[in-house]
Amino acid sequence: MRHEPRVLDHEYDGITEYDNPTPGWWHMLFIATVVFSAFYAVFWHASELAWTPYDALASDKKDYYGRLFAVLGTLSPDEPTMFRMMADERWMNFGGSVFAANCAVCHGSTGSGITGPNLTDDSWINVEKMTDIFRVITEGVGAKGMPAWGNRLTENERILVASFVANMRSHPQPGKPPEGKPIPPWGPAPAPGGAPHGG
Amino acid sequence: MMTSASTFDPAGRPAVRTVDTFSYDDSIVRKFMLATLLWGVVAMAAGLFIALQLVVPRLNFGLEWLGFGRLRPLHTNAAIFAFVGNGMFAGVYYSTQRLCKARMFSDLLSNLHFWGWQAIIVSAAVTLPLGFTQGKEYAELEWPIDIAIAVVWVGFFGANFFGTLLRRRERHLYVALWFYIATIATVAVLHVFNSLVVVAAPLRSYSVYAGVQDALVQWWYGHNAVAFFLTTPILGLMYYFLPKAAERPVFSYKLSIVHFWSLVFIYIWAGPHHLHYTALPQWASTLGMLFSLMLWMPSWGGMINGLMTLRGAWHKVATDPVLKFFVTAITFYGMATFEGPVLSIKSVNALSHYTDWTIGHVHGGALGWNAMLFFGMAYWLFPRLYQAPLWSKRLAEWHFWIATIGIIAYWVSMQWAGITQGLMWRAFDANGALAYPDFVETVTKLAPLYWIRAGGGGLFVVGMVMAAFNLLMTRAGRPRVLAETLHTAPLLEARPAHDAPYRSDLTSVIDAGKAADEFARLSWHRLWERMPVKFAVFVIAAISVGTALEAVPMFAIKSNVPTIESVTPYTPLELAGRDIYRAEGCYNCHSQMIRPIWAETRRYGEYSKPGEFVYDHPFQWGSRRIGPDLHRVGGKYSHDWHVRHFENPRQLVQGSIMPTYAHLLEQGTDYGEIRATVGAMVALGVPYSRDEAERAEDLARAQAAAIAAELEGQGGYKNMGDKKVIALVAYLQRLGTDISKTTAAAAPTAGPAKEGGAK
Repeated sequence: MRHEPRVLDHEYDGITEYDNPTPGWWHMLFIATVVFSAFYAVFWHASELAWTPYDALASDKKDYYGRLFAVLGTLSPDEPTMFRMMADERWMNFGGSVFAANCAVCHGSTGSGITGPNLTDDSWINVEKMTDIFRVITEGVGAKGMPAWGNRLTENERILVASFVANMRSHPQPGKPPEGKPIPPWGPAPAPGGAPHGG
Repeated sequence: MMTSASTFDPAGRPAVRTVDTFSYDDSIVRKFMLATLLWGVVAMAAGLFIALQLVVPRLNFGLEWLGFGRLRPLHTNAAIFAFVGNGMFAGVYYSTQRLCKARMFSDLLSNLHFWGWQAIIVSAAVTLPLGFTQGKEYAELEWPIDIAIAVVWVGFFGANFFGTLLRRRERHLYVALWFYIATIATVAVLHVFNSLVVVAAPLRSYSVYAGVQDALVQWWYGHNAVAFFLTTPILGLMYYFLPKAAERPVFSYKLSIVHFWSLVFIYIWAGPHHLHYTALPQWASTLGMLFSLMLWMPSWGGMINGLMTLRGAWHKVATDPVLKFFVTAITFYGMATFEGPVLSIKSVNALSHYTDWTIGHVHGGALGWNAMLFFGMAYWLFPRLYQAPLWSKRLAEWHFWIATIGIIAYWVSMQWAGITQGLMWRAFDANGALAYPDFVETVTKLAPLYWIRAGGGGLFVVGMVMAAFNLLMTRAGRPRVLAETLHTAPLLEARPAHDAPYRSDLTSVIDAGKAADEFARLSWHRLWERMPVKFAVFVIAAISVGTALEAVPMFAIKSNVPTIESVTPYTPLELAGRDIYRAEGCYNCHSQMIRPIWAETRRYGEYSKPGEFVYDHPFQWGSRRIGPDLHRVGGKYSHDWHVRHFENPRQLVQGSIMPTYAHLLEQGTDYGEIRATVGAMVALGVPYSRDEAERAEDLARAQAAAIAAELEGQGGYKNMGDKKVIALVAYLQRLGTDISKTTAAAAPTAGPAKEGGAK
């Protein structure tokens, strides 16, 4: 049976205080956090083995591009490449996710147009051939409010999203009425010819 | 009132007085208590109102004054400074007088403090919805109000409190008073240094710090407002009211000493944990995390002393609502001060930062700890203040259960929401693309949890109203004339301290061993407790260490903010737009700080660099992403998209919960103000040429006209050049674009529009 601890010989408005020691486990945990902190600081700021968030970011980025583009190499923005991408479901999915992240907010998740034009019909404002899509994405069209993505997305990403957009034309969606002028279909995939470094 | 019992020596001259008779000023306590009830209802109702706006956006009724961005600061300021503030003052005024055996130093100062503080609250309640704000969280109030706060806090409250300490009739200061001293001294320091501004207009000013440094100072302030406004005074109240109500001795005087000083010394360092993975340098971030971890036990020292004091009184907890509230409050304090260190661990914070987890955490503290403790205090105080029994103990019991269920529902739902959203932001699909690329998906997903939060918060509001009703009915039962009790106490001079400091009785040890033994026995602290002014100086010294070691390198060492050559000052119109961004409180829902985390750079673009914010007076990094980050929004959407989106976000984004900002399409930009704004920036050292400063208004009008022309070309909004929305769009289109300025085709320029069409 624990006996009553000593009450200190002062009181304040009737409040008294025990002379209890600080609990041992409390001390131990306090000291443990201090010791941990010392080791943590030395490891992360003085050790060769430590890495920074910037290192981790660079590594994630490398993994990502390595995984995705090791297969593709460096694409060139030409029609044969775009046709090849359009035929590959994996790259269409990838282009689709780039579209969803960046383009859907103006062109709609199905491409049917919101503030940006409908991308699923046959009328186009500044595009006559498929590669024009890549050019418009890269450079933007300031007067119409189309942003330039040249320094936001890599060239491969822009080619993939351009291919995804070109492919949308085969899935017309009711939405924003046609703008611009009708253009002929993309036509059959031509044989690879002039592309200097197309893969 | 004070009379003296005097004796006369045989010669008829008055001898030295030995005993004083005096009374306590309880009327000031009653005033502060009533104000606490009023502002408690207001602050919590405002919180519930904006919580509901997150699920029913039209609840702002399309009124600019009722938008989330303007009312959220009103809610936080009301909860912290009006509700907790008044409650703290009530408890401090009641307990200080009794712990010092002295009436407050000056009844006039007491009343100036009370009415001055209420005037500040009312002016906050008027200016914040009108959009007058400094744009820094929990420090939004504009400079005239800031000055009033400094005067009332230091000149009225501080002077009155320390005056009382100096006139005390109790030799030693009880632990509650240590916490009050720490509160008053530190809050004054925090408030003054975080509120330094350059004034541009009667209700418009700009932080003297910019970017990274402003962020550091702000979160030094913000975190320590939690420490020294929401924690130390409440611990002080706990140390007085808990042993009074439980009628038990405090568990450990030694623990009080150790946890008080470690808390005060360590807390001040922890601010940078609000800025993990931001452009703040790594060393500061590490300090913030480690000191937060080390803070765990000092915080728990308070919890242990509280809970262990109830040893031998637990049977009373079952029957006494006062003790129920106290036990719950202390338990929530323990949970919140455990969760805090957890959230401050960098890798946990990578997930939790910008999410509702933080919101849950602060409510665990503000409602679970502060409010519950106040309720216990109020149920104990009202019968004593009004000399009438509590109107309904049963209602108080009901209040207890409703409030407890409410805060648990609130906290858990917000933790759940935060973890859900944090995981969605970082999720990738099999292709390595973001699994939820559309930000709004990560918001609409939270709706059920937001309903639970509103339900829990609603219960807490109901409880608050029940408390107010119960306590006002108690007041209504008071006697016609409240009796004023006279107390007597011997004069301080007549009560010499009899406790000499401990002298080590160890033998066969060197002097250092004896000194260590004496130090460990803590008897030296008894001496400190006799010296209130020195005690305050020691507290300020303790908080100065962490402050100086974090702030001085941040300001002095240039490598903390490497210069980026292409970053230039905002144009005059962009500055005007930035003012609108700040006035609308956009930072309450949008961050401007992309962390160097892959999921984040995929979603928003290149991570934010310290050198990009050197002209940001004040910084607008934000702390929550109810909407997406905006740091790289410049050039991402067309002007037309932005204007339509402000007009009604749901025209463009299904499920968006952003308020409508149609008033920005109607109200004109105040071009007359722009020159003063640029002038304030020049005073802050922002490099505008003399010509730019003088022609600021013309430059702004020219840029606005160019943007308005582009806008018209993009979608048909006509004649918008003089509207606020154009200035705001100018600012948004500039955001985050400077680092890519060297490469062509960055943002749409304000220059002549390119010919041709998209698509």
